Amino acid sequence: MKRFCIWVTIFCVFLSAHELSAQTFTGTVTDQDNLTLPGVSVFVKGTTIGTVTDFEGLYSIQILPGDVTGDSLTLVFSSIGFTTREFNFPVDPGATITHNVMLLEEIAMLDEFVVVGYGVQKASDVTGAISTIKMDEITNQPITRIDQALQGKAAGVQVSQTTGEPGSSVKVRIRGIGTINNNDPLYIIDGVPTKDIDGILNPDDIESMTVLKDAASAAIYGSRAGNGVVIITTKKGQAGKKRFSYDFFGGIQTHGHITPMCNTGEYLKIYNEAALTDGRDPIPDDIRSQLSNTDWLNEIFRTAIMQSHQVSVSGGNENSTYIFGGGYMKQEGIILNSDFERINFKTSLTSKLADWVKVGTNLNMTYSVRDIIGASGDGYGGNGGSVIRYAFFRTPPVPVYEENGDYSDLPNFDGYSQAKLNTWFGDGYNPVGLANKFDWKAKTYRVFGNIFAEFNIVDGLVFKSDLGVDLTVIDEKRFNENWGTDGRINSPNSLVVSSSTGFVYNWTNTLNYTRTFNEQHHTTFLLGTEAIQGSFHWQSGTDRDFPDQSPSMRYLGNGLTTSKGAYELASGWSLLSAFFRANYNYANRYLIEGVIRYDGSSRFSKNNRWGGFYSGSVGWNLHNEKFLSDVKWLSQLKLRASIGQTGNQEIPLNNYISVLGDEYNYPFGGYLNYGYAVETLGNENTTWETTTTYDIGLDMAFFNDRLFVTTDYYWRYTDDMLIPVPLPPSGGSASPPFLNAGKVLNRGWEFEVVWREVAGDFRYEIGGNFATLYNEVLSLSNGRPIAAGRIDNGVFATLTEEGHPVGSFFMYEMEGIFQNEMDIFTHAYQGPQIEPGDVKFKDQNGDNVIDEQDRVHVGSAIPKLTYGVTANLSWKNFDLSFFFQGVYGNSIYMQVNQDIEGFYRGFNVTQRYYDNHWTGEGSTDEYPRASWIGAANNKKASTRFLEPGSYFRLKNLTLGYTFDLKKAGAGRLRVYFSAQNVFTITNYPGLDPEMYESNNLRGENVKNADLAAGIDWGTYPIPRIYTIGINLDL
Amino acid sequence: MRQSKYLYLSILLLVFFGLNGCKKFLDEDLEGKKSDLQFYQTADDAELALTGVYNVLSFANADNRIWVFGDVASDDATKGGIPGDQADIGLIDDFVVSTDNGNLETVWAIYYEGVSRANKLLDQIDGIDMDTERRSQIKGEAKFLRAYFYYWLTNIFGDIPVHTTTPTPEEMQKAATPVSEVYTDVIQADLMDAATLLPAEQTNLNIGRATEGAAWAFLSKSYLFQKKWAEAEAAAEEVITSGLYDLENLYRNNFEAATKDNIETVFAVQHLSGQAPWLGNRLNQWFAPRAENGYGFNVPTQSFVDEFEQTADSVYDPRLDYTVGREGHIWFDSVMFDPEWSPTGYMQKKYLQPLSEVPKELKADGELNYIFIRYAEVLLIMAEALNEQGRSPEAKTFLNLVRTRARNSYLYDENLPGYGTIPDGLLPDVTSGGQSEVRNAIRHERRVELGFEFHRYFDIIRYGPDYAYNAFQDKENFNYEEYKHFPIPQSELDTNHEL
Repeated sequence: MKRFCIWVTIFCVFLSAHELSAQTFTGTVTDQDNLTLPGVSVFVKGTTIGTVTDFEGLYSIQILPGDVTGDSLTLVFSSIGFTTREFNFPVDPGATITHNVMLLEEIAMLDEFVVVGYGVQKASDVTGAISTIKMDEITNQPITRIDQALQGKAAGVQVSQTTGEPGSSVKVRIRGIGTINNNDPLYIIDGVPTKDIDGILNPDDIESMTVLKDAASAAIYGSRAGNGVVIITTKKGQAGKKRFSYDFFGGIQTHGHITPMCNTGEYLKIYNEAALTDGRDPIPDDIRSQLSNTDWLNEIFRTAIMQSHQVSVSGGNENSTYIFGGGYMKQEGIILNSDFERINFKTSLTSKLADWVKVGTNLNMTYSVRDIIGASGDGYGGNGGSVIRYAFFRTPPVPVYEENGDYSDLPNFDGYSQAKLNTWFGDGYNPVGLANKFDWKAKTYRVFGNIFAEFNIVDGLVFKSDLGVDLTVIDEKRFNENWGTDGRINSPNSLVVSSSTGFVYNWTNTLNYTRTFNEQHHTTFLLGTEAIQGSFHWQSGTDRDFPDQSPSMRYLGNGLTTSKGAYELASGWSLLSAFFRANYNYANRYLIEGVIRYDGSSRFSKNNRWGGFYSGSVGWNLHNEKFLSDVKWLSQLKLRASIGQTGNQEIPLNNYISVLGDEYNYPFGGYLNYGYAVETLGNENTTWETTTTYDIGLDMAFFNDRLFVTTDYYWRYTDDMLIPVPLPPSGGSASPPFLNAGKVLNRGWEFEVVWREVAGDFRYEIGGNFATLYNEVLSLSNGRPIAAGRIDNGVFATLTEEGHPVGSFFMYEMEGIFQNEMDIFTHAYQGPQIEPGDVKFKDQNGDNVIDEQDRVHVGSAIPKLTYGVTANLSWKNFDLSFFFQGVYGNSIYMQVNQDIEGFYRGFNVTQRYYDNHWTGEGSTDEYPRASWIGAANNKKASTRFLEPGSYFRLKNLTLGYTFDLKKAGAGRLRVYFSAQNVFTITNYPGLDPEMYESNNLRGENVKNADLAAGIDWGTYPIPRIYTIGINLDL
Repeated sequence: MRQSKYLYLSILLLVFFGLNGCKKFLDEDLEGKKSDLQFYQTADDAELALTGVYNVLSFANADNRIWVFGDVASDDATKGGIPGDQADIGLIDDFVVSTDNGNLETVWAIYYEGVSRANKLLDQIDGIDMDTERRSQIKGEAKFLRAYFYYWLTNIFGDIPVHTTTPTPEEMQKAATPVSEVYTDVIQADLMDAATLLPAEQTNLNIGRATEGAAWAFLSKSYLFQKKWAEAEAAAEEVITSGLYDLENLYRNNFEAATKDNIETVFAVQHLSGQAPWLGNRLNQWFAPRAENGYGFNVPTQSFVDEFEQTADSVYDPRLDYTVGREGHIWFDSVMFDPEWSPTGYMQKKYLQPLSEVPKELKADGELNYIFIRYAEVLLIMAEALNEQGRSPEAKTFLNLVRTRARNSYLYDENLPGYGTIPDGLLPDVTSGGQSEVRNAIRHERRVELGFEFHRYFDIIRYGPDYAYNAFQDKENFNYEEYKHFPIPQSELDTNHEL
């Protein structure tokens, strides 16, 4: 304030009288292609004097003698995306100096700052394993969630959509699956931590994403960092640069590969073949004239529209910066009646209250609506079942609509009993009717942001206090309409309305001190505390027996039932922490860093709630050593090594006490009596899961920063894994208590490489990242394995067991097809009803009987290799980019094939089964005979339905052209065409190999996604999207 | 300015470092739920916990599958339903039973959960400050229920692990106890305690709770399985002489909503429609034809229908049409039975209500109870116990009480053709025959009187291999030693290493 007053006084006094003695700088700022650059900030270092280049790239700046002290001054030229340049001039009042400047696009990584926990670090000082995602590569992709942006962009980060349904969740796994509990990373968005990023931001609002992969980088986040940390920084305004931008894309989406299914003629043929085999009534010929020939898969898909608009305004000066903007996005689903729509606003402001106090805020608000349909599973999880699954198995003779225009339900043909028709043509739901009758909407309102103040106490010592909030309100409404033959579906109709409020606040205080001693000893210290408290509240009402099902009557209270439901849940959790980090760097050659964090968590009993985490890491910048200074082709060579511990506390709240449930009611004398029973058993001895990571890495740059290579090898051990140890059911059905009783190893090799080249008008950059993963459960609660991924009553597809990966597929191994009676006779005894043409299972234990003991581990949903390749090319104003992404070495259990190739009910069958099934000795060793009797054996969970999940996908292809509008007095306009999910190379026979857990998980006892990943009940596929878009910058 | 800077900062830093002082910050209480440490304190808690034990009995839970073992596995019934649907039930019907059969898993889990809830209540009840008389009754009810759960478990699975207190996770590793000991040490011990603790009658708002008579009746039933005939007689005698039970005039009153919990009911699993969550009988949907929004499971076999006596004029034992829907007869309301509904051409009616009472869309929320023991069975137990002790003439008296009621249907049921006169030669009294003939007559009578009440399979097994092989002539996979009991489910074998 004082300084400002003096400045004003001086300015006023000297303004007119001393104009002649002002020193003037003018010039043009251009980029390396000699294109003029508007909006470049030009200011005098150490002062508030500054300007911005105009549309022609011209600047002019006047400096009065009192403005600067000393006899030299420094002009600073900066612009986003360009390397900032500084020039020194002698103070020379009255002189006019013309100084043209060329700014180079920022390509060099070396001196970039990297975002790390609670701060930034010079890239050359980093000793942990960190991947940074460049957001400008993401903008071409029509993605709607920020976690999608991570896919294929960072080595060791596996990203998979759970389904292709618009707005559905995404699984992010950093360096494998460390636990049977929550494996989601911790996200830090502008300093505010959250485990849940559903509907939190528009990807366009992100400036950068940094993935902290090893303990050295993540340990500062302690008990929540066991699964890695993703730090997200949103866009901010730039001093001296006003900017308006509008981004739009719009396009169409279609489905990709479709599994060929039988038509009516083929269906009748194979049905009657089986009827002959099993001695059942065939479908009579005279019914044929009444039959339709419906292609059900084709009926449920549509060409869908997608559009997105995003506007933002930003700018600022030396004292304040601002950005605000908003966006609208709508994505129709490629399956009927599924949609996602979002509106978002963003504001970030910073302001200097004094030269030593800076305050600011970031505020993000989003509103999103999902129109949901069943996208995975068979309904066991409560979603009504996947529409795809019904489309797969609905038989083609049944029409979509009845003659009266209603959706057909049970097969309805004249002259045959319903029971016969059901047996012949099945009784599954009509998928078109099912999709269109889904009335299920989830609206999410999210407010996320922080306010902070930063105090520069003395030179190098900064105190920062940051208060963050995260509010999530979800309104969900689902009406189960009664329909179908004789109203058999959703009988009675019912309505569920629920509303949940989640609120988390955090208060983080840090003290940061940086000092260099004797020019060689660089030190940084960080000391901090953090308090986080979360609360959750959910309420729900149910009603049923609606006499009027019209949409306007689907509200609570309109049902006739007297027993309406009202439910409420509430919970809270808190975390209190202190942390410390010290960095020491000797002459930019030897780097060492240590971290300690001490956390207290409400999730554990009083005796076990405090825990400590640490890490230590070292780095050696060999390129700064004298002996390498002559090696011109080597611009960087850094060796890193780290060790550390992080934690995971994501297990159910209050797990340390046994909890009673209500609604265990019973009637006496014709009246309801309420009952309670113990639902979950507690264990007061539980404490954190601890993950210990060892990492060695190498960062290299060659040929004058043309080639960058980063590679890491890591071992990640999770100890004290919290396991709900399965107890014998004879002890009761209450959920078992958690025990710290397991150990998991993930290890792998990560490799990131980038080649950049500029040759005249032609520039290109090709980068790739590859990561291997080995996952193994080392020990598990006294060896007791965990079965998960229920596929039938008491039948599970996976078994998590010592010596195998988490969620490993466990089942019979198909050996072939019994070709003749002798084959059956000589093979291990498989059951009384086995006939030639049935599936032969391998007798794993050699006891000559095929039984449960012959099930073995046959594969895993965890890819052995994940990779991404990005290429960006530009020539003059054209740009072209490719982005490939893929996984290798995983398996998918294709449960839906049990229905459509298992041949056990009136379901349609695949073309490949129809063409290739066993019809006699020697016909095939792969697909068994068509027989319902045989199906009891043939459809058993076995490798028959296990398929390779590897894929290689051209995720994105974009061609753009940039118009330079500077001559027209504007900025620039880029127009592009982009195609997403262009093609996929895979041996997976289903619709899409990209999936994660199915909705069924919600209904299961073991609710961990990673224990039941890769089970395909007929999953909503990811769409192919063609868009055109514009980026307008003014 | 500079001075105030340090003042502000000092305050901030104090707050900053003072943060760790608030210890309460990490205390988060349970909301809307109780922990077991806060429970089992008051009389209300005891009642809530007891109701929680009764809750396990209910057929509102579709996984309560004792009927699969009692009926479908027997010669009375076959799976029904759509081919392929609920294939696990078909595998039990065909005696192709592996340890991962879902019906084994669910029955095992549900009935042991019942045991667990009863144990927990019995462990805690003495610590609750409450009326001592009600406390004894609650103990009696809990013991009765525990006996009920173990009865089904041991009948279905044979030798099983037994817990009579709440086990720790370590104690859950438990070896199997032989069937005979399950009967003597658990079922009969509990029932004898229950008989002394329980009141003679439960009326009004307590209807449905276990009574002393129920305990005696159950005890007598349990002795049959051990061939302890004198004990069975004595226990049945307690029920008969209590004077609190009698046969209904009309057999079908036992299976109609309006007349449930009648004087013949000794112990019945209670159901009530229209509650949230449902407490109705789901069997009303599981056993009903698909045409009525049912699933059509558990359908009668020809063998079962043939068991019913008919007169020379082809008038059937009226219990046939009370139990079974068949061609040419009214199903419910005025709807004719359609044999296409069932693969055997028959469906059973004992748990089904007409659509006029429970509409299609509420099909799974039926009102009918499952009667575990009714007085007619007590009479037949008495007859069997006496006959096996060589007192066949006395046995006939009790047997004939049951037959008389059946034939007297013609005197009480206006819907029967020729109402008012008992057709000639219908269900004559058993008057002749020695022990062996009377034994056969009692076995026959149990089959028709108690058909589809989930007892048949266990009766067949208890009668021994000769009877069983005869009954299962058409089941090539049946082997008495193998299927005397069903295998313990895989999930138990996987987790209980003492088995």
